[in-house]
Amino acid sequence: AVQCDVLLDDVTESRLLGLVEAAKEHIFIYTHRRMAITADDVSLEDVIPIDLDFAVVESSPEELVLVADTRVRVSYKDESLELKLPFGSHSRRFLGEVIRAWSDERARSSGPAPTDESPVLAVPQLGLRDNLIRCELLKNEDLYIYREHFFFLGTYNVNGQTPKESLRPWLSCTPDPPDFQELDLSKEAFFFNDTPKEMEWTKAVSDALHPDAKYALQVKLVRLVGIMLLFYVKKEHAEFISDVEAESVGTGIMGRMQGNKGAVGVRFRFHNSDVCVVNCHLAAHVEEYERRNQDYKDICGRLQFRQADPARPPLTIMKHSVVFWIGDLNYRISDLDAADVKDLIGKKDFEMLHAYDQLKRQIEEEAVFVGFAEGEIDFQPTYKYDTGSDLWDTSEKCRVPAWCDRILWRGKDISQRHYRSHMTLKTSDHKPVSSLLVVGQIKRVNGDSYKKTLEEIVRNLDKMENECIPSVTLSKREFHFEEVKYMAHQARTLSIVNDGQVPCQFEFIRKPNEATYCKPWLTANPPKGFIAQASADVDLEVFVNRTTAPDLNSGKQEMEDILVLHLERGKDYFISVTGSYLPSCYGTPIRVLCRLREPIRDMPRESLRQMAEKPLDIPKELWMMVDHLFRNAIKQEDIFQQPGLRSEFAEIRDCLDTGAADSLGGNHSVAEALLLFLDALPEPVVPFAFYRQCLECCSDAVQCEKVVSALPQCHRNVFNYLAAFLRELLKNSASNRLDVTIVTIFASLLLRSPTKQDLAEKRKAREFFQHFL
Amino acid sequence: MAKQYDILFRILLLGDSGVGKTCMLRRFTDREFDTGHISTIGVDFKMKTLEIDGIKVRVQIWDTAGQERYQTITKQYYRRAQGIVFVYDITSESSFQHIVKWATDVDEYAPEKVQRILVGNKSDEEPRRRVTREEGSKLAERYGMDFFETSASTSHNIDKSFSRVTELVLQAHKRDVDNLLGSLDDYLNKAGLDESGQDKVGSIQRVCGCARIF
Repeated sequence: AVQCDVLLDDVTESRLLGLVEAAKEHIFIYTHRRMAITADDVSLEDVIPIDLDFAVVESSPEELVLVADTRVRVSYKDESLELKLPFGSHSRRFLGEVIRAWSDERARSSGPAPTDESPVLAVPQLGLRDNLIRCELLKNEDLYIYREHFFFLGTYNVNGQTPKESLRPWLSCTPDPPDFQELDLSKEAFFFNDTPKEMEWTKAVSDALHPDAKYALQVKLVRLVGIMLLFYVKKEHAEFISDVEAESVGTGIMGRMQGNKGAVGVRFRFHNSDVCVVNCHLAAHVEEYERRNQDYKDICGRLQFRQADPARPPLTIMKHSVVFWIGDLNYRISDLDAADVKDLIGKKDFEMLHAYDQLKRQIEEEAVFVGFAEGEIDFQPTYKYDTGSDLWDTSEKCRVPAWCDRILWRGKDISQRHYRSHMTLKTSDHKPVSSLLVVGQIKRVNGDSYKKTLEEIVRNLDKMENECIPSVTLSKREFHFEEVKYMAHQARTLSIVNDGQVPCQFEFIRKPNEATYCKPWLTANPPKGFIAQASADVDLEVFVNRTTAPDLNSGKQEMEDILVLHLERGKDYFISVTGSYLPSCYGTPIRVLCRLREPIRDMPRESLRQMAEKPLDIPKELWMMVDHLFRNAIKQEDIFQQPGLRSEFAEIRDCLDTGAADSLGGNHSVAEALLLFLDALPEPVVPFAFYRQCLECCSDAVQCEKVVSALPQCHRNVFNYLAAFLRELLKNSASNRLDVTIVTIFASLLLRSPTKQDLAEKRKAREFFQHFL
Repeated sequence: MAKQYDILFRILLLGDSGVGKTCMLRRFTDREFDTGHISTIGVDFKMKTLEIDGIKVRVQIWDTAGQERYQTITKQYYRRAQGIVFVYDITSESSFQHIVKWATDVDEYAPEKVQRILVGNKSDEEPRRRVTREEGSKLAERYGMDFFETSASTSHNIDKSFSRVTELVLQAHKRDVDNLLGSLDDYLNKAGLDESGQDKVGSIQRVCGCARIF
């Protein structure tokens, strides 16, 4: 369960969420009072089943400044809830569970076949990064985890002797220094106060350790008089050893009191493993194997290690994941006389001898050392020799040789590299035995490699993430439109190729302080879109109309713009669009046109703004059109009623702007061009400032005359000129079939409202104009 | 295991066209370097995860078009940045002089608390050097900024400079949060006098929620 906020419209309310499994999993939503301490404080509000109609999507915060609370949208069929979960691992775990339940549900329903693509795309990204990192770390464990640790185990019954020779042949017999050395130096003698000898042996051992590594003595155990256990570890591992405990038990009737038989054990924790080393000295004599079995059971039962936490039960030997058992176990070779044994040894037929080895037999019968392993013995028995020689016991007893000194282990992933005796040492009546064991179950994290691996993973993830940032290539970054003319549409295609690894959504976005994504003479079509793969084409269209023409004509504005193409969750691209605009009489004020004696395109741009010349009475362009109509179309049927041709309009416009040809074109086209001209005037023939006045006096002819006479001169000229022209046209209404509608058309062009014209205003405008016809 | 990122910052690269902003970014995030120069026309970004003082910081580094004609547009990106890296080219005197202009723009458009450093890039091109180390460091000092000479080509100081600006942003952010927590504490102390215990518990928990950011 988790606490969260539900965002309901503008209100945020707290709810508790629970994930409940009942046949299917459900999200239970509870309302709650205050802190919700008891069940009385909560009441169930809603249950959302997690099935195929369910969806959960993490909303990405617009501003990725801080990692804040997690917002998710949970939806079921048509309903959806916006939830805000508090930042932290608790919420993350909850969402992780919900998502797991959800994806299980989908996996169940879709069966083994892969689902279609869209739900795959919708898989939420919750904690994905953390999981990926964890996954990668696990996958690359080999890079930063060492699994092989070498344990050198040695057992040497020194028989109460003092060290007389170097122990190197025994202790440094491996080519590489082992990680651990656990050594048994037991002696078969009753000495209650033997401190000097211990010191001597300890020194002898320390001197003989593998010279290629530095070892730290971790444990030196001298117990039960006669058993000495030394435990060394390579210095570099010392810091990872913890929870070291040592215990000892005596065995047998005597042993409980004082005996020289029994065991010492040491346990420690190393990284993830608990290791226990037992060194024991079991009961002697050939026939006593059952006592030895008993001793073993005794040791297993009674050797217990206290735990750091006193509340926890003590640890027995078998609770350890790695157990080494070394020592003079004292099992003999029985049912063969000394001569036969020596004969088999001479023939190196150790295999045959194994059949008579008590320990092997007892293990086979599962009477002792259950679960332990021992390596193949292919060295001759280590007991009993004449001290100082390699000769078998020549004493009266003439003991049968035996493998008394043994090394066994228990645990997973342990293998033996060698198991041998060391014949060159002659101090004792025993020969030392050693075993090198490789323990694979211990996972040791190498800090540096771990860091390196983690860094590498994070870097790769960053790289992957960067590669997954939506990205496109554009066919062109700069677009230039040549010869842009009034009302002439031009288009270029911008190809957007998705070169990223994810589908992307593009949109042209607004620039600061601008209302739209581009200048009014430009459009991008479509202005937004989605590219799954491949590419999309966007038409960049340029069209100058009456709204945009005035500033372009006057040179107040240049034809240039920068479009910002934004990819959702991705980068922004700038696309510059320029055009060379050819100024036109269309959209140029009457006042300016009257001062242009030359065609507008021949005039330098600056001169359009500052001219001192004596003005013309009316714009020559207007005259050209009206004159054309007057001469050619005064009797034209349906003049001003039938539309012109688009192509002819372009020619007419060019004629007017360049002063080129004498003949403008078809009558209907010229008539329409005239109407368009009036419509494009930035300031209508009756300037906006006079509009109200005209409407107010529309019923009074004298007043109307008065208003017109007050218009600026060029405007007045144009007004009167057009009125006169219309009067001429109306005189010929029998042929051109003009009626009162022409008055309405002209009235609405000459008297344009600064705002929107309603019907009443239209009527008044017509009434006003009527006076002049 | 700890969460892989605790916090996300935006850092903006600013400087004249051709000083090596894109190369610095590529060197930092992809460990790659291209000698060819393609003008960035637009605003590009890349992500990078850094660990600073044990905090995993994700930085989104924005590479902007340096060309003058785009500057009115790129300015709108300033306000979203917590850190700014001013870059000039040690072989170009004008790019160095323009830093003043870039800095003025930042003063005007970026958030007040934005953290800034100055970087003189192309330090590997010693023979062509036009701006001395001292000049760079003096200018940085005047603005109270840390200064680095870097080379995207040899990778010299690249990690260091980006880490430094991120560190500065992180520190500033910590100060912000501390102040916020401080004022919350004040508020709680006052509120504690006349509010019931129940409500107080709620408020205190909210404070703990904030504190957990670090």
